Amino acid sequence: MLYPIIRYLDRVFHFPQAKAHCDVPCGIYDPITAQINALTVVRMIDLMDALTTGEEKPLLEFHNAMTRYVAVKEEHAEKAKHEIRVIWGDFIKDAYLEAYPQLPGLVHKIMQLGSKCRQSADRDHGLALVESINDFAEIFWALKGVKTKKAKAPYAPGLEMVYPDL
Amino acid sequence: MIKIIKVAGSSLSPFFLPGDYVLVLCVPNRYKNLSPGDFVVFDHGEYGRLIKQVTRNYPAEGYLVTEGIHPDSLSRQKIGRVDYGNIVGRVFRRVSRKD
Repeated sequence: MLYPIIRYLDRVFHFPQAKAHCDVPCGIYDPITAQINALTVVRMIDLMDALTTGEEKPLLEFHNAMTRYVAVKEEHAEKAKHEIRVIWGDFIKDAYLEAYPQLPGLVHKIMQLGSKCRQSADRDHGLALVESINDFAEIFWALKGVKTKKAKAPYAPGLEMVYPDL
Repeated sequence: MIKIIKVAGSSLSPFFLPGDYVLVLCVPNRYKNLSPGDFVVFDHGEYGRLIKQVTRNYPAEGYLVTEGIHPDSLSRQKIGRVDYGNIVGRVFRRVSRKD
C-alpha cells in the first residue's frame, strides 16, 4: 500500500539514493565456473575410486594422494555452491522467478547436492550436481537470450555440459 | 527530521532489495545509541552515499563500523570507520514492493 505511494512521490520529487553496492558491480556472470567445479568433483571421486581399486601403493603415497583428492573435492563442491549463490543473489530478479518458477527449488537442490558431494564419495551425487548445474546454466542463458548447446566436456570425466551457442 | 531514500544495489539483500525505499531518522545526538544490527545511511568519501548495517559503535570516539550482508559486499576494511558527522540517519522503516 505504502510502496506505490512512495514510488509515485519518487517520480515527482526524485528521492536521493543510497548504494548498498558490492565490490565488483561488473555485470559479468557465467555459470561455467560452477559447471567446471562440479566436473572436478566427479573427477576427484573417480581418482579416489581408482586409487582404492587400482594397483596397491605404499601407504604414505596412498594417504598423500587420497588426502589431496578429498581436499580438492571439498573445495570445488563448496566453490560450485558459492558461484551459484552469487548468480542467485546478484543476477536473478523477481521477474525471472515468474518466468522460471522452478529456479528456487533448483538452487536449493544444488546447495544440497554440493553438501552431499562433500559428505560422501558417491559418484551419483557428483553426477546429479553436474546435471543440476547444467539445468541452471540452461535457464541462465535463456534469461540472457543466448541459445545453448550440449556437448561433452573435452577432458575427463567427459560428461555432457551445457554451453552458450555463440 | 525524516528522509526518504531509495536503495540501489544488492549488498543488503534480502533485507533490502534494489528499488526499495527506507525511511531514515536524522537525529545526530542519538547516534551514540546505535546498536549492531541497525541499518544506517552515510556519506563515504570514495563510494558516495551508502546504506550498511552497523557491526560496532564507538560512542566515546564518535564513529561506527559497518558492513553489508551479501558475501560480495564491500568489506568493513574497505568502508573504514564511519564518523558520526558523515551519518545521514538511522533506518527505521523499510518500504518494499514485496510488503
